Amino acid sequence: MTTARRKSYGVKGAPYAFLFPATILFALFFALPIGYAVWLSLHKVQVKGLGLGSGARSEVWAGFENYTDALTDSELLAGTLRVLGYGAIVVPLMLGLALVFALMLDSDKVRLAPFTRLAIFLPYAIPGVVAALLWGFLYLPDVSPFYFVLEKLGLPQPDLLDGGGLYAALSNIAVWGGTGFNMIVIYTSLRAIPVEVYEAAKLDGATPLQIALKIKIPMVAPSLVLTFFFSIIATLQVFSEPTTLKPLTNSVSTTWSPLMKVYRDAFGEGDIYSAAAGAVIIAVATLILSFGFLRAANSRNKQEAAR
Amino acid sequence: MSSLAVRKTAPAAGTTPGTAQGPPLCRRIALVPTLTLLLGAIYCLLPVAWVLIAATKSGSELFSTFTFFPGTGFADNVSDLNAYRDGVYWKWMGNSALYAGVGALLSTAVSAVSGYALAIYRFRGRETIFNVLMAGVLMPPVILAIPQYLLMAKADLADSYWSVLLPLILSPYGVYLSRIYAAAAVPTDVVEAGRIDGASEWRIFTRVALPMMVPGLVTVFLFQFVAVWNNFLLPYIMLSDDEKFPITLGLFTLLEQGSNTPALYTLVITGALLAVIPLIALFLVIQRFWSLDLLSGAVKS
Amino acid sequence: MPSITRHRRFMATAVAVTLGATTLAACGGSDDDSEAQSGPAKLTYWTWTPGMDKVVDLWNEGPGKEQQITVTVKKQASGDTLVTKILTAHKAGKGPDLVQAEYQALPTLVSNDAVADIAEEAGDAKSKFADGVWQQTTLGSDAVYAIPQDIGPMMFYYREDLFEKYGLTVPKTWDEFAETARKLKKEDPDVDLTTFSANDSGLFAGLAQQAGAQWWTTEGQKWKVGIDDAATRKVADFWGGLVKEGAVDNQPMYTPAWNKALNTGKQIAWVSAVWAPGTLTTAAPDTKGKWKVAPLPQWSSSENTTGSWGGSSTAVTTDSDNKGAAAKFAAWLNTDPDALTALAKEGGIYPAATTAQTSDAFAEPPAFFSNQADFYTTASEIAKTTAPSAWGPNVNVAYTTFKDAFGAAAKNKSDFGDALKTMQDDTVADMKKQGFEVAE
Repeated sequence: MTTARRKSYGVKGAPYAFLFPATILFALFFALPIGYAVWLSLHKVQVKGLGLGSGARSEVWAGFENYTDALTDSELLAGTLRVLGYGAIVVPLMLGLALVFALMLDSDKVRLAPFTRLAIFLPYAIPGVVAALLWGFLYLPDVSPFYFVLEKLGLPQPDLLDGGGLYAALSNIAVWGGTGFNMIVIYTSLRAIPVEVYEAAKLDGATPLQIALKIKIPMVAPSLVLTFFFSIIATLQVFSEPTTLKPLTNSVSTTWSPLMKVYRDAFGEGDIYSAAAGAVIIAVATLILSFGFLRAANSRNKQEAAR
Repeated sequence: MSSLAVRKTAPAAGTTPGTAQGPPLCRRIALVPTLTLLLGAIYCLLPVAWVLIAATKSGSELFSTFTFFPGTGFADNVSDLNAYRDGVYWKWMGNSALYAGVGALLSTAVSAVSGYALAIYRFRGRETIFNVLMAGVLMPPVILAIPQYLLMAKADLADSYWSVLLPLILSPYGVYLSRIYAAAAVPTDVVEAGRIDGASEWRIFTRVALPMMVPGLVTVFLFQFVAVWNNFLLPYIMLSDDEKFPITLGLFTLLEQGSNTPALYTLVITGALLAVIPLIALFLVIQRFWSLDLLSGAVKS
Repeated sequence: MPSITRHRRFMATAVAVTLGATTLAACGGSDDDSEAQSGPAKLTYWTWTPGMDKVVDLWNEGPGKEQQITVTVKKQASGDTLVTKILTAHKAGKGPDLVQAEYQALPTLVSNDAVADIAEEAGDAKSKFADGVWQQTTLGSDAVYAIPQDIGPMMFYYREDLFEKYGLTVPKTWDEFAETARKLKKEDPDVDLTTFSANDSGLFAGLAQQAGAQWWTTEGQKWKVGIDDAATRKVADFWGGLVKEGAVDNQPMYTPAWNKALNTGKQIAWVSAVWAPGTLTTAAPDTKGKWKVAPLPQWSSSENTTGSWGGSSTAVTTDSDNKGAAAKFAAWLNTDPDALTALAKEGGIYPAATTAQTSDAFAEPPAFFSNQADFYTTASEIAKTTAPSAWGPNVNVAYTTFKDAFGAAAKNKSDFGDALKTMQDDTVADMKKQGFEVAE
């Protein structure tokens, strides 16, 4: 294999060359801003006297003050618990539905697949600008057609904007918006499986369900890992769903989720320093949970591969 | 090979378990999947239908008529939107198309080349590079926007088209997705064969691997396009010139005009609805590429 | 010296209400950055007012052309996040020349050194505004940080037809207001007089202001925070009591459900400000011509004051290279009769300049109030009774705390006094954290 050996230098350098654009972009638009955010999180503003006029305000070293403030704030823990409760509903439901839909789209003799595929994906394309109006019209009892129907049928009308109902309402927004997206990821993976792989199983008389469980799901495992990985991150950093419902009810505070608190600090109260510290804490928590998951998933995959 | 990789042979021609191509001669429909998917579609379309119906309502009908009862104002809404500030809406639409189109194209290119490298090559630092790139998603974008703005301002690029385009090119999600698809779709023996033929690594990538990755890459393109199209916070911070605004930001200024003026809800809803149409068109175009049949010819040659 | 001529003219026109007249109006303020004004100046202006581009065209084709000062409008979305956007741009030194800023945001902007003192260039505009309005732009100092643009004197809106139907009279005092709410509940338990909404802090701040609250004051080099002062506590207890006994609703404003309640007569009054017709047009289109406006209920029958909710000003940023030119434009925009007429027509604003409030632009009532011919005369009378406001450098913190604390209190129908205490404590804690000197 002289040709291969001659090329080996090129082969060695190639991956680095291929990864060069991504690395540069990462350094400029992720690493640098993240570094700056970390720097900010270690600083605070120091005002002199009344703090009016020029030169009354300076940026000073704060050490870990912003971090201790954030960590001792009871809202952080409360927000984390709320978010975990929300994630426990959303992640299994959304990914379960996405997997089921993707498998069904990929199954034989299914009708209307292009239509349903588009329909299930469409919520992802609805811009957030109209989301609060949209859900206001669907959730607020006085204007919701669903409450109208429930009332006509004499059925109980749940309060969707308080207590447990609020979690259902939030989860519904997330599931509605995210299922199609994850479905497409899994579906695209399914489409990459060559047909011979389960042709043999089919000849052996395997049912579609058996094929799905025994062959398809294991083969799209990498995609499932990916969707899980990103769903965990999306859960821990949930922001848009509660922010959408915020104007509609007194039950969602500006610190309902940890990231909402970060947003409030930065954009509501103009305290970018505390916001940065909060963001770093969220990032570290996300790191531990999501990468922990990734590692666990990978080692399990390896075990299975070894077997 | 990565544990994520799925070994497979080259995608071969032949009947895929087609959905779109389902031959009409099949005697029965798979009832359960079809019904389940239809239920899913209805669940997803109901709130979308609200947008559609609300866009037909005039300003006075929006809050005063039954929620799912169509109104009479669609044509007026469209012409009002058209007339608003000499048609600035269409400018926003064009801007969004530019940000999303160019951004998604560049993003897909970077994702493809990175994902391919991570999936196909074994090299020192592969997992480290991958993990570091993935770590980019850990920091919430909410907090990155401000440092990114300050950085752009330093480079004198704030309030330019570049300020919105550049930070969105690298998508960790796209890289990860591309890695998975490359691992699944590009067999190592094909790459080896290319090397034996004396092709350069770049040539193997562009001529052999890239066509095999197309179904996955169109997915990356679609996601990135929609993500940029609906992005709000980054352009909000970066842009001050409303002539450069994307649709999301433009519609937001219609909603928040101060308390003196009635909020232009109907224009916003109509504008949001019209903004979904290009996304639907894109989806319809792209879904053709999810079928491997289309591509098998390219792979063989 | 074109700039001086111009300066003279805007002073003159504001007095004589005739365009182009040149009088002997004293020309205050020397141009200390004359080097910037010698050449043509191009200014950028961040504003959310609709139609502002048309008003600015008047300037660009008229006085601006003479003085070679061109202004470009960059339309923004209003709201609290705009302050963050301005401060972020300022941090990078890339702020625009002019910004629209709500009054309560000015101390924050001043404290961040984002807006410039334009006392020299525009201090003379003072006479065009009520003292209470002007004082908001000076923060009680000799500096002038902005020119007032629009104001939001608070007024009481009610459904005339439904008040008659339920046999209610327009409350003159807050006690009568509470009685009215209770009486209405007896007449029809499904109908509310109004709601206590925790999603707009400006409303509560305005009500407190009417009661005489001074949330931020200075004592020498120290700030004094009086959010839980007696006046505010009175307001909080009053509304907390009404919510607790169920006399008024506790759901937020500006939701589709709120709109429907107004539109269908489930809520028959609204404590709001002069800009309410704009909101009601969207929210309750079917009730056109059925509303009337009256002065806000008073805390005692001998009083006659109101608070303010909303309103904004035009400020010149410290990043501007042409502060003098920018200040001239800001003064023209908010004092020139033509500009003010255009602002009223294109932007729908209620002007801060007192003479403009009774100008021809406000001879007719807003279309939604066609039944009340004296709408704007009433409004300008009420505007004169506006109590002074006292804003501090972290209004934003107080406002977000309000939303959370009062939102929870309204939801649980618990003690509003506790919520007020939280608001006070959090605001003081934030100021201390930033290093402000705070008097206890």
